[in-house]
Amino acid sequence: MKEILAYPANYWQTIYEIWLFISVVIYLVVFLPAVYFLVKYRYRKGVNERAQLVKESKALEVLWTIIPTIVVIYLATHSFAFYKVQRTAPEGALEIKVTAFMWGWEFEYPNGKKVYSFFNSVVDPEKNVYLQPEQVNDMFKAYIPEDTPVKVLCTSRDVIHSFYVHPAKVMEDCVPGRITHMWFQINEPGDYWAFCREYCGTQHSKMAAVLKVVPKQEFENWLQQGVQTSQEDNKQTL
Amino acid sequence: MAAVSYKPYFSAGLKEWIFTTDHKKIGIMYGVTSLLFFLIAGLSALAIRMELYQPGLQYMSEDAYNQALTVHGVLMQFWWAVGIWSSFGNYLLPLMIGARDVAFPRLNALSYWLFFAASVLALLTFLPGSQIRMMWTGYPPFSLNDNAGPVAFYALIIHLLGASSLAGAVNLVVTNLTMRAPGVTMKKMNLFLHSFLAMNVIQILGVPALAGAVTMLLMDKYFQTAFFDPARGGDPLLYQNLFWFYSHPVVYVMILPAFGVISEIIATFSRRELFGRTSMIVAIWGIAILGFMVWVHHMFTSGMPDWIRILFSYTTVLIGVPTGIKIFNWIFTLYKGSIRFTTPMLYTLSAIFMFLIGGLTGIPLGLPAFDIAVHDSHFVVAHFHYVLGMALTLAAFGGFHYWYPKFTGRMYSELWAKIALVLIMIGSNLFYFLQFIVGLEGMPRRYADYPAIDSWVRLHELQTIGAMILGAGVAIAVMNLLLSTKLGKKAEENPWQSPSLEWLVPSPPPPHNFDKTPHMPEDWDPYNYEWLEKQHKRQ
Repeated sequence: MKEILAYPANYWQTIYEIWLFISVVIYLVVFLPAVYFLVKYRYRKGVNERAQLVKESKALEVLWTIIPTIVVIYLATHSFAFYKVQRTAPEGALEIKVTAFMWGWEFEYPNGKKVYSFFNSVVDPEKNVYLQPEQVNDMFKAYIPEDTPVKVLCTSRDVIHSFYVHPAKVMEDCVPGRITHMWFQINEPGDYWAFCREYCGTQHSKMAAVLKVVPKQEFENWLQQGVQTSQEDNKQTL
Repeated sequence: MAAVSYKPYFSAGLKEWIFTTDHKKIGIMYGVTSLLFFLIAGLSALAIRMELYQPGLQYMSEDAYNQALTVHGVLMQFWWAVGIWSSFGNYLLPLMIGARDVAFPRLNALSYWLFFAASVLALLTFLPGSQIRMMWTGYPPFSLNDNAGPVAFYALIIHLLGASSLAGAVNLVVTNLTMRAPGVTMKKMNLFLHSFLAMNVIQILGVPALAGAVTMLLMDKYFQTAFFDPARGGDPLLYQNLFWFYSHPVVYVMILPAFGVISEIIATFSRRELFGRTSMIVAIWGIAILGFMVWVHHMFTSGMPDWIRILFSYTTVLIGVPTGIKIFNWIFTLYKGSIRFTTPMLYTLSAIFMFLIGGLTGIPLGLPAFDIAVHDSHFVVAHFHYVLGMALTLAAFGGFHYWYPKFTGRMYSELWAKIALVLIMIGSNLFYFLQFIVGLEGMPRRYADYPAIDSWVRLHELQTIGAMILGAGVAIAVMNLLLSTKLGKKAEENPWQSPSLEWLVPSPPPPHNFDKTPHMPEDWDPYNYEWLEKQHKRQ
């Protein structure tokens, strides 16, 4: 196993850990004093029958306005820095066009090779349940080279869908009439899920595709198989 | 305050109920309708959870699932989370300001009957052929597709609800501003009243955007216009902008009144004025104004330009600041108080701690770097169920119990109310906390089925068990409230010893509320508990 399974998931992981730490601290900062007050100042006959006068504390109020402001602005700025990386595909990334439709995906590679994945190609036809990604027929799988950044240009043929690459923790809507973009890189060969994340009707929950990550050489071989572009035809005849 | 006894407001014939313009009866009618739809939406949620218990489709088809999810979303948002506050607002607002009714009683009746008409239409969508399966958001171009079901129903429901909300909002704002009894100054208004004021202003500013969006949707579908259909030159993102311009602020329409209820209850049972009362009011308005500047976080992955996403990420996280101020002030209200752990107080404390989780998990959703992985996942679903499903619902049930003696003149069963709370807390935390985890692991929302990834299956099983416990808790709480109207002990006039004006009239109030307009003395304040004690001594 490599240290980082996929990009840009590592950035997400970092911001997740920062947020989780801050959240737990804030929760305790609120929860523990609250429990202390609840116990200490509970109503007790003869001891604590009436509330004591408490002076407003401007200092305290300023404190709990300014500290949260600093914390959230820090978080937003950290996210800003990460987001730039998460959104900008590295140079030389492999460009794939993904076209979503009700209900399936079309993947088009730079040399014109196309792969189609339909909602029923990830499903056991008899039981109508999801197959394991390895069980899906290879002809419906979108091949992705290992250790290579992939830039996805996404659009849709009918309604809004959303392309979510499960291991890479990125998604972007596929909007008809627009081309949206995202990128990811997977560093470990294997079969991975990509899901539709925008509700699109009856088969929304089966609108998944399998990304088959393979070593670079194997990808090149696969890419050339069964491609009959007109240019190549010309070359062959010459 | 009233020495002569009258028949309570609710002893009236059916005809009187139907044609009533009494704010209390209308408030009760809102409450009953809202609660009924809450239960329908709750049952559809249980159906959804049963289906998700195991991968594969066991109990329903995809279409039935999608319909159940649409019903759950629409009913919970508009009938429960928004509708229930129409009930509280109508019933309590005039009482709290010392008025005999709202400013426009007939308009108020119209508001309710428009809400009722929308309710009838919503029930009609259960008929075969009328099912709507486009989720409560109804995004085009999908909603223009026949797979979505009849959009006209949805548009008309939104229009009826919108008209009802607008009329109700104008009514309550005018009532609040112009009909306060002498001595009930702006400064001495209950926090409940401040949050209802802000909430109604949001309604007035926001509803037109949604009404416009669904009208355009209706015209696209039936009159061949092309606002949203890209095939004819429209832009589907326009709908999302209009939709969220209202539908984000509407979450503050839902939660601000809950804050109001929490503030009332926590002050009453700590026996002291709210800490930082002025900053609480500033925070309410801060939330209301900022609430209109954050809607794009619902569209962080929609294809909007990246710089807009960054801009809105800053505004979004900033809303955590006024929200935090409110939580800190509530906690410090406990400080040096004399805390009574009554049932409403327990519901309220639970609401605060659950809201804190809901709020803290909302912050990363405002960070595009985080949102990029969890947008439209179960993480988002869990976040807004902590806020709406728990904080809001617990506050509303806290409110039911707190004002129950006021509404009905009787007390509920303490024991069953507490059992219900324990079940609700165990069930919903088991349910929604695991929903966070399955969301972080990538489970997309609105999925009728999911691949058999081991951890997902286990998490879904436990969630469904949690949902069943939650359902049992809610059922017990509702049964307790219903049965206690007949079986409950007679309540005292002012069981919580609150000087707030609604408690200074008999419980249940007479039809006209106040025998004569109350003149509140200089030293009175809705949170001045010593004033009440002095009054008692004088008597």
